[in-house]
Parts: sequence; structure tokens; C-alpha cells
Amino acid sequence: MATTFKTFSSNDVISTKTLLHEAIPLTGAIVSGSYADGNVKNYSHGMFQSVYDYPYLSSSANHIFDITVGYSPKSPLSSSVGDTSFPVVAQNKKFNIYNQMAQVLMGFDHTGSVQLFDEDGDLLAGGTKIDAAVFLSFSRLLVKDEIKKGTFSITLGVGSNAPHDTSWASGVPKDRVFNRRIKVADTNAQNDFRVNSPAGEYGILYASLDQGTAESNLSGTPSAAGTSVFEADDPADGSTTIRAGLIYYQAGIVVLTQSLFLRNEDANDGTRDRDGASVADVMGSGLLNSAGYMLTASTHGHKGYNSGRKESLQMLMTGSNITASCDGVRARIHNISFNNTTELNSTVYFCRANHNEFNYSSNPTYLTGSKIRVKQQSTDQPVSYITTIGLYSADNELMGVAKLSEPLRKDPTNEMTLRVRLDY
Amino acid sequence: MAFLDNSGDIILDAVLTDTGRFRLAKGDGSFKITKFALGDDEVDYALFDKNHASGSAYYDLELLQTPVLEAFTNNTSMLKSKLVSIPRTNLLYLPVIKINEIYSTNNARHSSGAYLLAVNKDTEEALGINASSNAVSGIMYGENVGAGTTIRVDQGLDTTEISPAFTIDADLVETQYIVEVDNRFGSIVNATNASITSPSFIDDDNIATYFFSLGTDIGVVSENTERDAAASTQTIRGPRGTYMEFQIQSSLDLNTGTFLFTELGSTTTIATHSVYYIDTTVRVTGATTGYRIDIPVRFVRKV
Repeated sequence: MATTFKTFSSNDVISTKTLLHEAIPLTGAIVSGSYADGNVKNYSHGMFQSVYDYPYLSSSANHIFDITVGYSPKSPLSSSVGDTSFPVVAQNKKFNIYNQMAQVLMGFDHTGSVQLFDEDGDLLAGGTKIDAAVFLSFSRLLVKDEIKKGTFSITLGVGSNAPHDTSWASGVPKDRVFNRRIKVADTNAQNDFRVNSPAGEYGILYASLDQGTAESNLSGTPSAAGTSVFEADDPADGSTTIRAGLIYYQAGIVVLTQSLFLRNEDANDGTRDRDGASVADVMGSGLLNSAGYMLTASTHGHKGYNSGRKESLQMLMTGSNITASCDGVRARIHNISFNNTTELNSTVYFCRANHNEFNYSSNPTYLTGSKIRVKQQSTDQPVSYITTIGLYSADNELMGVAKLSEPLRKDPTNEMTLRVRLDY
Repeated sequence: MAFLDNSGDIILDAVLTDTGRFRLAKGDGSFKITKFALGDDEVDYALFDKNHASGSAYYDLELLQTPVLEAFTNNTSMLKSKLVSIPRTNLLYLPVIKINEIYSTNNARHSSGAYLLAVNKDTEEALGINASSNAVSGIMYGENVGAGTTIRVDQGLDTTEISPAFTIDADLVETQYIVEVDNRFGSIVNATNASITSPSFIDDDNIATYFFSLGTDIGVVSENTERDAAASTQTIRGPRGTYMEFQIQSSLDLNTGTFLFTELGSTTTIATHSVYYIDTTVRVTGATTGYRIDIPVRFVRKV
């Protein structure tokens, strides 16, 4: 009986799962102004900002990430809790952002209240909460299925000068903002991550010195807005326990704690840190210059709050609208890198051509009249050449096709197994 | 599609077809791969030079250098010619399928080279009868099926080396035919009793696929018992297997309107009559041997 199809047996089909990883390096220049912010999209609602890899009006532009800021109504930054003398801009939007992120990423407690972000992920123990944060939510184009644990890092310039403008900061070279840098990474997260989030797995971000001089242990009275992460431990000791936020791997969202941006300054003196050094030289001196200007990527020196205030955090988080705050944070991003993960579910079909199978062809050129062209006499071996593999359903519908890069000779003296993998 | 890079290792470029993706999206379990076939669409066996002066190693040298195109996702564009499994290796002849236009005057193509299908009664009357009141060859009746021309294809060994008095080997007899036709234009009709047949499935490109089997579809597939080499009604010159006869009923769209004609066709003049027309092919494939022919059909409608 002549046949053209061969049915797969149970030994011919197998399903596998493979994890693919790609390295995603994002240079800070793109994020903070290579295209004069033409690649940064602002919205009239002012809830977040979108960053593209090219001016977003171009069809070539790819969405990289969104950035926004928010804080909880329970935060000391809230005018209902903290110092009401500070100017408050777009507070409700910041509440909304924080609560939205928290309910999606942290969920609700047993009373139905939104859980605050927890610094170490130990919700039962209470501990320090991240009640104000900068959120970076990365595009699915980059994250794919998830961020690979232990690969994320972001370096932030923490020098106290504007990144691009020399005029407003007493003529200090513009690149001094990146002379002192901190690195925030999910160090060792592949071996130490949390699973108590409704949005999947998450890890703790740790801050460490990336470039510049670390300061010795700080002491003194915390400012009203909280304690800088750098006051909790000393990076000069090589410690990696400075918690700086959370990263949600499947959601592709990074939560940077507000205290990362808090100026290490004496609560009673806006120009000196707790060791008496100038704030401009102090690691973690925040996103504000000593004169109290809010840094933005484009307008560098935009004054978004009361000049002369000591509480830089409050200036960042409360004194500006979300867009301006995002501009300030973006201008400090030096680099971002991570590896993404794509989960490939594959079915492998082993197409086995035995010695006595597929040796003839129905190709019209195979025959002259009805005579087989590749044979001179009946005792010659039949020969055929494989270029295509068709995968069929039971009702003979073509479901998939695989092509070989060159014809393969098939005759009764050989057998072959062609391995076709379909990825889903 | 581009050619696959054949400069290094052999690679395999695999894709789901549009039908495969369609069934996958339906989520009803209809996407289930159960079998495979091998094809050689690009291969031109005329390049196989079994008289090459340098010996047998050079017989297929040119053939092996054939560049191969990337896979198309259109399910009807691939696997046009399949490889065939026949356990015996001593075959020198393989059966073919040929249009039989000489069995009767009702089986001939139109002088234009295609079978003409008149999609409505007006067109049948205008084109089916000539000025001498004789039936015109090659005109199929799309409305009054049962009358007019019938398409007949014969299967067997088309060679004078073997007498048709011999019986074709049982494993080379085609017992099932697959007919593919654009479902927007028409459907297959049993030529013997003018009954409408049902397609097995219609794919996303509106191609309807019909299966007809010997013994099951009586009047469509029949055994060819003619053994006379001198018979003037046979197109297969050697041992004969089976034959298949069918007609086509025009679709309601073509029967009642001109939309598809203006979108997919054009106009011409046939025997002084101005007509709309659409050219298409009806594909007949042997399910057993995989041999395939494309039959040209022109759907016509009187303006």
C-alpha cells in the first residue's frame, strides 16, 4: 500500500520547557536626555511618564519603561500626617499611584486594607515600610515573561549637581552628578526571594557604593521625613544590607524607596551633613542641589518647591507634580541592566523515516510519463530528496511546516530522524 | 520568502500555518498534530543526471545544490508534492492522474483551454448551445447540474511499455481522491446523480476539501475496467486503476450577483457573448499516491 503520511506514535512526540535569557542594558543617556526628552512622553493626566528608546513620535520607537512616584496616605509626607507647612502638589494622584501599585503588588491584609510595601518582605513581623516610592515599570517588550532573579541593577548619580546644566549650580561641571554613584541591585536574589505577593515573586534591592567616596557612619537626629538608607549602614564597610527597594520579577516593576533619595543632612542645618561635611559631598545626598532646586532632565533648575527647605525628600515627593519628580529621578539614572526570561514551551516531533519509507515522490518531475526518472532499471534503488516536513491533523489539514536548508537524499540504504520543534 | 542559508549546518525552519494558528486560537482541541508527511516541492528531478560522465557521485550534484525557500505559512501553498512510502524498491513506474477528455464529448475542455462553468441559466443557454443548436464542448452547467460537461480524471500507469491488459498492482491503485475547490465559487457535484456533496472542511482561505473514496462515493470514484490498449476512450496508456468524475455547482454568490466577478475577475467575449469571468483551479490529489493535478476552470456569467 502506497502512503504519503506517517502517524506519530507516543514515542515520537515530547513536550519540553526551556528558559531563554537576554541581557538588557539601558544606558542612562537614553533615559536622561539623549534625545532632548523627545523620547519621553508626558500625558495630560500627569500620572506617569513613558520612556522610549527613540523619539516616541517615530514608528521606530520602542517603549522601555514607565516611571512614576507615589506615597501612601499613611506616609509622613502626607499633608494629613506630616508637616503641613510643606507645599503639596497633586497629592491625590500620588496617593492613587501608591495605592494602585500596593494593591496589585502587595495585596490586602485580612481587614481588606491595602498592604504597604515592606522593606524586607516579612509582613508578619511588621518592620520598616516603604510608604513613599519611585516606581519603574518595565515594558513587556523588554521583560518578556520575567526579569531573571539576581541580574537587576540600576546605578544612580548622587552627586549634587545638575546633570546637564552648568549655569545653575555655581559653574560646577555638569557631569559631576555621576562622579558619585550608588548601585541598587537584587544581589543574591536567585537564592533569596519572596513569594508572598499576589503579583508573583519579588526580591529585595540593596544599595551599595558604585563610584566615589563613601561616607563614614552617620549619626545624628533623623530628619522629619525619615532616615536615609545610607544612615542605616555604612557602604564603606562592604555591607550589602542597605535595603533600597523591591523588585517584582514577573510584573517587571521596580519599587525604589523614598529614603534612597533622602539627603543625609543634619536635621537642623540644610547645608551640612551629620558628620559636618558639605551636603554636596555626601553620598546619598538626594536629588536636590544644595540651593534647593529640583533637578529635571530638560529644564535643569526648575524650582518646584520652597527654596531653602532642608527636607529634600519632601521637596522631591510632595513639592512637585509627578512629571517633574520623574524628570528629577530620570536625570539621575546612570545605567540600568537586567536579564529577561522567556519561557519557551516546546513540542518536539521526531519524524522518523525508516529505510523503506519515503523513497518515492509524487513530484511531477519525478516521472517522465509514468517512468521514474531516477531509475534506469527496476533493480536500481529509488531515490527521493527531502526539503519539507509537513505536520498534519487527523483530517489531513496542514498545521505546521518545517523546511530544511538543503535537500536531503533519502533512499532505502538510509534512515533518518528529523526533529521538528514547535515553540509556544 | 527568502532562501534558507545553506552554507553551513543543515537547519530546520519551522512555522505554524495560518490554519494551525486558527485552530490553536479556537481552543477547541482541533489543533492536534497526529501525522507527518515529507515533501520535495523545490526539487526538479530532471536535474538528476544518471548518465553523468564522472560517475554516480555526480548524478544528483546539481539537485543537492537546490536552494530551499523559507516555510510559507499558507497551508495550501506547501507540501504540493509529497514523498511516497512504498515498501517495494523494484518499481520502475508509478501511477499518474490525467484528465480524460476523450472518454466522451462531454468530457472535453473548452477551446479556450479551461473548463467553462456557466453560473446561471442565462449563461448556460447563451454559451451551452452554438448557432447550429449543438452542445458546445467544455461548458459545465452551474445551475442545472447534471447537464453539460463533466470533468473526468483517470489514474494508472501512463506508459506504452506495459500493456493495459495487465492489472495495476493493488498497492498502486488510487482508492481515495482529495478535491480542493474555492468554496466561494462552487461546490462538487456527483456527476452520475447530480447530488451535491459535502466538503470535509473549509479552511481559512475558503478552500473546501472533499474526500471521495472507491466503494463509498459511488458515481464519483469508479474502477476502470477497460483493458483494451486500442480503446479510443482512454488517456492512460498502460494498466489502469480508478477514475473519478464530477461536476461543479456554482455558488449562490456567483449565480445571483456580479460582486465576486468584478472583484476577482474581469470581462471577455465568448462566442459573441460578453461575459464576466473568474479563473481558478480545481486540484485533484490521490490520497494514496500523493499525485496531484490542477484543473483549470473558468467561471463565466453573461453580462
